[in-house]
Amino acid sequence: MERFDVLVLGGGPAGLAAALAAEEQGACVCLLEREARLGGILKQCIHDGFGLLRFGERLTGPEYADNYIRLLGGRNIAVRLRSFVTSLEKSGGGFAVTYTSRGGLHRLEAGALVLATGCRERTARQIFVHGDKPAGVYTAGTAQHLVNLQGVLPTRRCVILGSGDIGLIMARRLTLEGAEVEGVYEAKPEPSGLSRNIRQCLTDFGIPLHLSHTVTRVLGEGRVEAVETARVDERMKPVPGSERLVPCDALILSVGLIPENELAESLGIPLDPHTKGPAVDARFETDCPGVFCCGNAVQVHDLVDYVSEGAATAGRCAALRALGKEAAPAPALPVEYGREFVSVLPQRLRPGNEPAACYFRVAETRGPTRLVVSQGGAVLLQKSYRRLRPPEMERVSLRPGGSGPVVFRLEDAAEKAQNGPAAAPL
Amino acid sequence: MSQTDLARVGRALRRAGLGGVAVGELNGSLLLEGTLPAWADVVRAGSVAAAHRGRYPHVVNHLDLPGLPPVEPQSPRLRDSALEGARPDVAVIGGGVIGCAIARELCRYDLDVLLLEKESDIAMGASSRNDGMIHPGIDLRAGTLKHRYGIAGNAMFDQLAAELEIPFVRNGSYIIFSAAWERLLVPAFYLRARRGPIPGVRYVSRRELLRLQPEVAPWAKGAVYTASSGILCPYGLTVALAENAVQNGARVSLLTAVTGIERQGDRVTALHTNRGTVRPRLVVDAAGVWADRIAALAGDEFFTIHPRKGTSSILDKKAGYLTASVLAKAPFADVRQHTKGGGIVRTIDGNILVGPTAVEVRQREDNSTHQPQIDASFEKHSKVAPHLSERDVITYFSGIRAATYEEDFIVGPSPRVRNLLYAAGIQSPGLTAAPAIAKDIAAFAVKALSDRGPVGLNPHFDPHRTAIPRPSEMTAEAREALIESDPDFGEVVCRCEGITRGEILAALRRPVPANSIDGVKRRVRAGMGRCQGGFCSPAVAQLIAQEQGIPLWQVRRSGEGSEIGFGPTKGGERDGTV
Repeated sequence: MERFDVLVLGGGPAGLAAALAAEEQGACVCLLEREARLGGILKQCIHDGFGLLRFGERLTGPEYADNYIRLLGGRNIAVRLRSFVTSLEKSGGGFAVTYTSRGGLHRLEAGALVLATGCRERTARQIFVHGDKPAGVYTAGTAQHLVNLQGVLPTRRCVILGSGDIGLIMARRLTLEGAEVEGVYEAKPEPSGLSRNIRQCLTDFGIPLHLSHTVTRVLGEGRVEAVETARVDERMKPVPGSERLVPCDALILSVGLIPENELAESLGIPLDPHTKGPAVDARFETDCPGVFCCGNAVQVHDLVDYVSEGAATAGRCAALRALGKEAAPAPALPVEYGREFVSVLPQRLRPGNEPAACYFRVAETRGPTRLVVSQGGAVLLQKSYRRLRPPEMERVSLRPGGSGPVVFRLEDAAEKAQNGPAAAPL
Repeated sequence: MSQTDLARVGRALRRAGLGGVAVGELNGSLLLEGTLPAWADVVRAGSVAAAHRGRYPHVVNHLDLPGLPPVEPQSPRLRDSALEGARPDVAVIGGGVIGCAIARELCRYDLDVLLLEKESDIAMGASSRNDGMIHPGIDLRAGTLKHRYGIAGNAMFDQLAAELEIPFVRNGSYIIFSAAWERLLVPAFYLRARRGPIPGVRYVSRRELLRLQPEVAPWAKGAVYTASSGILCPYGLTVALAENAVQNGARVSLLTAVTGIERQGDRVTALHTNRGTVRPRLVVDAAGVWADRIAALAGDEFFTIHPRKGTSSILDKKAGYLTASVLAKAPFADVRQHTKGGGIVRTIDGNILVGPTAVEVRQREDNSTHQPQIDASFEKHSKVAPHLSERDVITYFSGIRAATYEEDFIVGPSPRVRNLLYAAGIQSPGLTAAPAIAKDIAAFAVKALSDRGPVGLNPHFDPHRTAIPRPSEMTAEAREALIESDPDFGEVVCRCEGITRGEILAALRRPVPANSIDGVKRRVRAGMGRCQGGFCSPAVAQLIAQEQGIPLWQVRRSGEGSEIGFGPTKGGERDGTV
């Protein structure tokens, strides 16, 4: 049976960064990818703006991925494409994995695992869109795949539901392809996507954004013929009488992403209800020792640059662990936060000399705000923000002390604030 | 028949507040005519008439809402002459589970069988839109055809599933009592079981129930368990029946609607379709929600279908812990039930199905869904299993049951047309009853066709159909051998369900091949999982395009007019690995 120090599952941006970082520590690495090509979702993200933090320039998704894929050459990394894990279990001190490929059913063992399995899109059914079931209801990612990878025009006139980033990007992309985007409908009173995408993808193209509006029904026999839209009240319920029939041939959905963690769950790793991914420490190790999780599988990111950063940490720590180069980790310090946050990653910190990257997302748009991170009585970090929005994941760096929970708190602040970095969305 | 019968029905209708309905007679059945203000009244009038119909075997209900155009079948746009001049021994109208089971059964004989289906695939109506339960028949009234064919059909499934290589388990079902007094009904269940006969019926105490089904709410007072209750994939069964029929010589003509029927005297002589005129010796009406329309075209209208919509939700496999069986609350508290009232059903593929509901509707092919139906079914069934949650829903669907006002099946020869057989009014438990109905229809057919000499057996009939291999269900050794013989079975395309390229290609090359993304989904489950095809549908579409030799954008999601795209993008369609 083949044996590797580190097995990375998923060949998108997280998996690539993790594999390279693990190999740099001297680990013998295997990377399994389900598809025929590396790059994950970046393959279809042909718009630019990736890599501002990581490479200091605006790259397209495929360019960003290529920067990593090129580095794989000559490294001690076995890349297996069209390879799909069918079972995963603990074995001895490591893990036994079975995967299927065109070459047969293969088994291998690994000292540590890095789960970089990405995320999937929430579907029309999961947000309870009703009515007929004609062709022409696509998630934004599927539409993006059809347009950018297959060269198929999936609509001539569409309605986009949800103002997530992929939906905004697709509004612009479809317009450039000659399709008419009737409008973007967002049930929440504010957009879900990054501000720059609202500006560059909607405003610049004259595409209307209807906030506090949703799609209540799809009509059409073979193909979508129309959708019914409606205004929603504060509880997101459609307001009777506000329905409007919009003729169109497609409904494109950008209503959220869900981390894919079926493999983590098969190992019994519990998921954090806030991030929808496994709880991890600052090394990205899950509750199951030796299993690391990074990228959109651990939490949906808005910037690929942060995915790469976190995944490199995961890969490096997985290698150190598998190679036995790592001192026993210090006891974990829980990270605590209130309802003003959607999530804080990681869920646990460990005392140490190295600063740990923490990422947080606020629950509501806020004006001038001070982030205060404290432990016991001591303030570990204070940072002021001019504005914080739920779509934008913020990063801070911390060095917690020996014991006690690390508490994240937000305070309203009137004073002048510095803002987080600007970079392109996924 | 007698004027007194008609007058009695008229009085009953007036008592029910349904005045203004003209009561008459058509083809030996009771006929209702006129208009009523609400569809619920139309259905109620039909039901009242059925309850008081006396010697009339059936009710024809022509009542409708005022000022609306009649409900018409959705017909294919295709026009050709592919069937022109065809002279099959038997034309089966309808490619649902009933029509396909009949076609297969007829193939046991030396007969030329042609199955006509107006949709782009088989199993497009109720046959792909139900809960997949093989009902034990414990709740059916003795003396009905539902009871007779339901119980006979149930017993046929072990052999049938083995012959057709379709997954089938008898996972049992629980009728759960919510009131202590309901336990007094247990002897009645035992009596029904003895008379059925229905095997494996037993009372389960509260303690045992909660031990066997720990997710059942603590209020439960016990249950009646029926071991013969089973589960399978209903469209899987329908496809398998059709494939086996085709393998044995039957022809299936899709996108073929019967638009007119010629009759001479007491015989049907020709079926006009959008694909040419067919002159069969015998016709079987298995047209589901349109069975009464076919009868009318043949000048033989003697019953009416009233469509009853059911909506079900499918939960993520993660919710599979709720039960490995079927859980349903005993229905005795509910006033009048035309369906089993739904339940929590563990499907053959490991999902949980919640539903179906039952709503009378006017439109016969409107499978649209509505949130109140879903909410209602969760409210109802979460009383049985409190952890049941709408959050786990991955998809939902509606189907239309083809109910008659007598609420029973119609199986057998027309009283007036010598070469016309009916398998009509097939609602729950139609899936269960299908093989038994098919067997009887085949016997009636052979009898009717014996007028020109005896009908011989088909010496080449092979009841065995080989299923598409399912690598994810195989042992490691078998899987390895399969991949070695065909590497396509090693490459997973649908990540959620673990479906390989080999399975998808096989679905496109079967005796009744898939011709759309949904067709592939029904045959091999690609796109059936939690991402609902978001990831795999472009890849599936690519394989369809390859097999059919068409541009990718022309691939259909389902039937006519459901192409996935409108043409290539400005850069042109790509061809290659993505």
